[in-house]
Amino acid sequence: MKYNLLYLTVLLLLGIVDVFAQGQTITGKVTDTSNQPLPGVNVVVQGTTTGTTTDFDGKYSLLVNPGDVLVFSFIGYQNQTITVGSQTTINVQLAEDVSQLEEIVISALGFEQKRDELGSTASVVPPEDMVRSGEAMLINSIGARASNVQVQRSNGDPGAGTTIRIRGANTISGSSNPLIIVDGVPISNTTYYGLGNGGRSGGTSQQSRLNDLNPNDIESMQILKGASAAALWGSRAANGVIVITTKNGSANKLNISYKGTYSLDQINTRIPMQTTFGQGRNGVYSPTRAESWGDYIPDRAGGNDVFDESGRYFEATNGTRYYPIVTKNSRETYVDSNWDGAFQDGQFFQHDLTASGGSKDANFFFSLARLDQEGIIIGSNYDRTNVRLNNNFHINNWLSFSNKASYINSYSNRIQQSSNTAGLLLGLLRTPPDFDNTDYIGTYYDNSGQAFTKRQRSYRRYMADSYNPTYNNPMWTTREQESSTRVNRFMVTPQFTVTPIDWLQIILRGGVDYYTDARVYFFPIGSASNISGSFAEEGISETQINFDGIAKGNFNITSNISLQATIGWNINDRKTRSNYALIEGFQVNTKKQTTDLNTSRDASEVANNKIFRRSNRGYAIFGFDMFDQLNVNFSGAIEAASSVKGSYFYPAVDLAWRLTDAFDIGGSVLSFAKLRATWGKVGVQPGAHRFETLAEGGFSYSTYSDPLSISQFGGGFRLDNNLGNPDLEPEIKTEWELGADVRLFEEKLAIGATYYQNRITGILINLDLTPSSGYSTQYANAATMENKGFEMDFDYTIINKGDWGLGIFGNYGDNNNLVTDLQGTETIDLTPGASVSSRAIVGHPLGVLYGTGSKTNPDGSFDLDANGFPQLTDRPVVLGDPNPDWRSGIGLRARWKSLALNVLFEHSQGGEFSPRTLWVLRRFGTTQETANYFTTTEDLVNFDGDLIPAGTTVRGNVENFGGGNVLLDETWYRHGIGGGFGDNQAYNFSIKDATFTRLRELSLSYTLNFPRFQEATKLSSIVFTATGRNLFLWSKIEGIDPEINQYGVSSGFGLDYFTNPSTRSLLFSVAINF
Amino acid sequence: MKTIKSLLIIFGLIFASCESLVEGINDNPNKITPQDVEAELFLTGAMLANSVAQGGHLNRIAGMWSGHLTGFTSLYSNIYGYDISTAESVGTWSRYYVGVIPNVRHIREIVPQDMLLTGICKVLEAHAIGTAASLFGDVPYSEIDNPEIADPKFDRQSEVFTAAIALLDQAITDLNSATSRSLPADIYYEGDAGKWAEAAATLQARYYLQMKMYPQALSAAANGISSNDNNMKFIPRGDPEIASGDKNLFWQILAGSRQGDIGTGNSYLMQLLDPSNTTVDRNNAKTDETARFMYYTIDETSASANQGIIEQFEPQNLVSYAENLLIMAECEARANGVSAAALGYLNEWRQFMNTGGHVNANFQGESYLYADYDAADFAAGGIENPDNIAADRAFLREVIEERYVSGMQMYMAFNDVRRLAKDDPDLIVPFPLNTGTAPGQPQRLPYSDDELNTNNNAPEEPGIFSTTEVNQ
Repeated sequence: MKYNLLYLTVLLLLGIVDVFAQGQTITGKVTDTSNQPLPGVNVVVQGTTTGTTTDFDGKYSLLVNPGDVLVFSFIGYQNQTITVGSQTTINVQLAEDVSQLEEIVISALGFEQKRDELGSTASVVPPEDMVRSGEAMLINSIGARASNVQVQRSNGDPGAGTTIRIRGANTISGSSNPLIIVDGVPISNTTYYGLGNGGRSGGTSQQSRLNDLNPNDIESMQILKGASAAALWGSRAANGVIVITTKNGSANKLNISYKGTYSLDQINTRIPMQTTFGQGRNGVYSPTRAESWGDYIPDRAGGNDVFDESGRYFEATNGTRYYPIVTKNSRETYVDSNWDGAFQDGQFFQHDLTASGGSKDANFFFSLARLDQEGIIIGSNYDRTNVRLNNNFHINNWLSFSNKASYINSYSNRIQQSSNTAGLLLGLLRTPPDFDNTDYIGTYYDNSGQAFTKRQRSYRRYMADSYNPTYNNPMWTTREQESSTRVNRFMVTPQFTVTPIDWLQIILRGGVDYYTDARVYFFPIGSASNISGSFAEEGISETQINFDGIAKGNFNITSNISLQATIGWNINDRKTRSNYALIEGFQVNTKKQTTDLNTSRDASEVANNKIFRRSNRGYAIFGFDMFDQLNVNFSGAIEAASSVKGSYFYPAVDLAWRLTDAFDIGGSVLSFAKLRATWGKVGVQPGAHRFETLAEGGFSYSTYSDPLSISQFGGGFRLDNNLGNPDLEPEIKTEWELGADVRLFEEKLAIGATYYQNRITGILINLDLTPSSGYSTQYANAATMENKGFEMDFDYTIINKGDWGLGIFGNYGDNNNLVTDLQGTETIDLTPGASVSSRAIVGHPLGVLYGTGSKTNPDGSFDLDANGFPQLTDRPVVLGDPNPDWRSGIGLRARWKSLALNVLFEHSQGGEFSPRTLWVLRRFGTTQETANYFTTTEDLVNFDGDLIPAGTTVRGNVENFGGGNVLLDETWYRHGIGGGFGDNQAYNFSIKDATFTRLRELSLSYTLNFPRFQEATKLSSIVFTATGRNLFLWSKIEGIDPEINQYGVSSGFGLDYFTNPSTRSLLFSVAINF
Repeated sequence: MKTIKSLLIIFGLIFASCESLVEGINDNPNKITPQDVEAELFLTGAMLANSVAQGGHLNRIAGMWSGHLTGFTSLYSNIYGYDISTAESVGTWSRYYVGVIPNVRHIREIVPQDMLLTGICKVLEAHAIGTAASLFGDVPYSEIDNPEIADPKFDRQSEVFTAAIALLDQAITDLNSATSRSLPADIYYEGDAGKWAEAAATLQARYYLQMKMYPQALSAAANGISSNDNNMKFIPRGDPEIASGDKNLFWQILAGSRQGDIGTGNSYLMQLLDPSNTTVDRNNAKTDETARFMYYTIDETSASANQGIIEQFEPQNLVSYAENLLIMAECEARANGVSAAALGYLNEWRQFMNTGGHVNANFQGESYLYADYDAADFAAGGIENPDNIAADRAFLREVIEERYVSGMQMYMAFNDVRRLAKDDPDLIVPFPLNTGTAPGQPQRLPYSDDELNTNNNAPEEPGIFSTTEVNQ
């Protein structure tokens, strides 16, 4: 850089000298492909030292001779050469050089590094790709863009959290999320479920705090996948590190831009529902049955139902009266209108305003963003406001100061979902086709005329003659309940950089990340699961304070070996606090949210939870650059953390050898080749506050359905049966990787490939203790696990010349995980409460699906009963593996003049998924799968062993489990083992292939920036973009996106149970650059 | 190189990163540590664990294996037919070893000077470990509750009984020197040292009896429970509308999802008491069991149908006056035959029953009669000796039968059938096997699955028909 400045100064001086020489003056403007002026472009006469640089408006003027060849060069862009003829104006458009753009990556400490000198892998996601992806949530926009980075949103709810898994699973009970470093400082990416959510199997989707960031503020984003690059962050880095830097202003004129985005969102896949069979059982209509195994609707008489209008009735708010049904005649069905009562076209508007600029000594970047989103589920929304101000000041030649500050405010209401009778899809998808959900609230009058107001009417209580609807009417779920969250967050990162002598830099960097999350859970009287009403408020706050003192020096050891040494010290303090208060049993039937809803204090519940952690680390990196071909980095961190006994050392080494430099073999085919190898250790911190054995209250003792509860005997304590563990150590992941980066055909094709293996030891689990030792369990470093995998990224610029540009890019990653030891613990349930659960089991990959299945013979065929049907296994077995075999993203970018096209596909191969929604709906008989109506052509036996003679018209399907054709009818689906709840189900038939391909992004943009437009409007450009997000999904599972996860942001996955669906979108945006 | 050296020194200094900066932060801010909790607050929890372990699942199983109860459906019908897995002992085992013992030892540790609490805690520990030894045979004891020992060894059954008796000696010493005080946390005796000392002596007698050390049992029982009011019992409480958490344990299971699973049915005990039954009938000219028959009947079809021994607020005896008197009657007769003293002990119990105190108020209006027996009743041809056996044996047979009946919902019957099998088969109450294919009456309950899986010193599960040490 210094060299360049000197060079430029010389050039400038020469340029001035040249004024006095003979020749012609050429003037012109240098712009990028979107007609933005490029300041600072070198314009040099080839073979001479004559040249200049462009000014802030991209303009230059230079005295040349005809026949001179002008070379226009600028970092990050492809050089252009133009021979001077008779012209006096030469305007040049420089195309971006993608391979060069990626040259600089940001290290885990926030420093720039040359990618070609790196031994470790870093996936770079260009911020413009993230912005263009159409994802309102930052994390989701990384999806499919980097190898072995699995990004899995919980569902399509606005603001829903997302699980990021880098190179598979690295812990069992700890957090699986990577560490997020923004501008050199760790920030929170917590997904806090809290007490009000009622566990992860139900409740609502919760947010990922990383999604608070505004994607438009991001200058660069890198994913450090391996242990070596992350080792400096010690016990927080085992899941990888995502390094983000936010934008700065530049010494430039004031740049102002506005961008407006509109998105139209829809459900991306829908379960096919049946419309031919009514509510009831055994082919008989009943208006109070849970199931739709009733009569054949076309056989009904038609016309109006016959009612008993002599007594009780329900009166909806619009005056419609419902009387007890005597005879069901109507053939009307309501599948679509019921659907429309719960779902809508979602949409969002996003406004982004940015301003940046500055002088030589000071610059700023300011942004203001507002997102207003309405979800596809009626009543769900997400609003977010982001403000950011980044400043840099060069105070003098040895001191500079920067401060990056942002404020985020968001509000979201989420709809109850999943395993939860107050949840949306549970009520909606179980609703019989012949029940109309519309009139969901009103007054019930009993036979004596007594009125019960604000009663919920649901399909099993069509008269609303009980407070308990059993399941919510989806109209009630979306309109009467509230589960809101309001977040206020500040992030401030001040930094001093002192350069006392020219080879040494001292950096003092602080960071504060603070947020509060105020949640409300409100269920009016008559809500399922909360029939007497429930109102809870939960206040969560998290503070993360970070400080780094870093010294960086450069030394030449010999003429061929130089050393960059970095040493530093970090202290990091995190505090989470939550307060929870609940009022149940309302005395007043109102939706007003006040504690006065219940004036008797003993009905309320109060709880709080605090989590305190602190760590401090000393760290050092010694980076040797040898013989202009070999880079070796040694790094190490020694860390003391509050939840760990003693100190731990995290060493790492990486090595990069540039073959093209070593053997001087670079040419037009092979532009660049590098081999790299790394080894390193990283950790996962133990859960906080687990050293001591505690005293525990609120327990009960039972031997078999006979509990005695201490709280009913005046309260008291016991020694916690979980034995404290004062010797906790971090989980240690040791990883090595080997890889190569190659660029071919004049840097047009870039390929990077890596093979890695890691082993994680001391994984923390709740280990079963010998009961006679006095304790049941102990949180202990007891498990081990392994991952190995291969990953590859490529980018091929086919054309990038003039008006044309075409490139393809892609990535591939596979990861094989194996749980190798649980110290005798048979299984660890990662998804408590699910009948098909995701578990850790020795000899299997983490997350395997586990539940009762069908007995098999030694040859793998089913061990059938006398009727030819499968029989249940005696105990749960491994049913499937939700981990994909491999994942891949492949994309295309093209431009022609001002038009640009981007396409990105994502493919996930293999793995399994248990959409238990479909399984349970078999029991309820509401899906098309259960509504096949046909005449048998052979004698068939059903699950109960009843013979159904040929020629009978039946509802069901013919299946052959290996013992000849059998009939799957109500006996199989509803009360057999082929659909339903609990452990007594043949869940092996619920397991589906999770392979999917999706069109993640299809976008087309047009840039309006021709000079006459610019002159007329005084705008530099307007960019119009249309993006289709998640437009197509090809999957073998009908109606459910295999990417959703009932358990949200969690280490367990592969499960769905009436989980809110995912979405697809069409976005339009206009960006105006002043 | 000099700069590198100085850098390395700075580096070394920084690397001495401070553990002191993070000390103390990991102390749990949300939960109370045991040091902060008063000793008495640990007592109720330990007593609840003891109550459920003494009167819960394994007690019901022992009842089915003693001709008291019948398992009708689901799990209890399988276990009724002796089909039982080690999973059934998991809860009870953990109640003894995790629920009772560590907590009572913790109390003793923090208030060693409080003789009332240390005495109570020693009784509870001896009660828990003694019952465990009695049910399972060899069990861990000498090495338990020690953080240094991950896999406590299994001690011989007789050693455990002996240790329990010794601990009860200490308990009696403590309690005799203690002053009673109001102790609401003590849900058995509310802090009455005298009653605790009596219960301790009866427990000693119980364990001596199981080891067939009859003279020692007799002398221990002399200080044992002196009135029915002094029984150690679990006393249900609370709101009648709330079905679980504090009610009679048997009532709770029928009030919950186990309705229909288990009851008395036509068990041998019911036949024995039933005045209309003529094949096996314990009613005679001096005895009318009508009230007790009705009081003992457990109707499995619904909890609310039961107003007797499992009524929701009906206490469950753990150590009883009847047990103490009948131990004395048996041991006295074993030493001196049908002596006045032996008759006296049996009649003392019969006299108490004749007041109606053996059934609750709902059944005191029903007929009952327990006239004193005299020696002639046990002589050949007497009303308790129609088969003309030796008078001493006839008397002992009646004492054992009375234990069999009075021990309803206790382990007395299950303990006796195993104890008497070798030397006194003629005294055993001849209740039949529940399935004809069984090799004999069960001799023990299976070990806890959890203990077998985690303790490297655990033996192979011997099975329920394997005789434990003291009964070999």
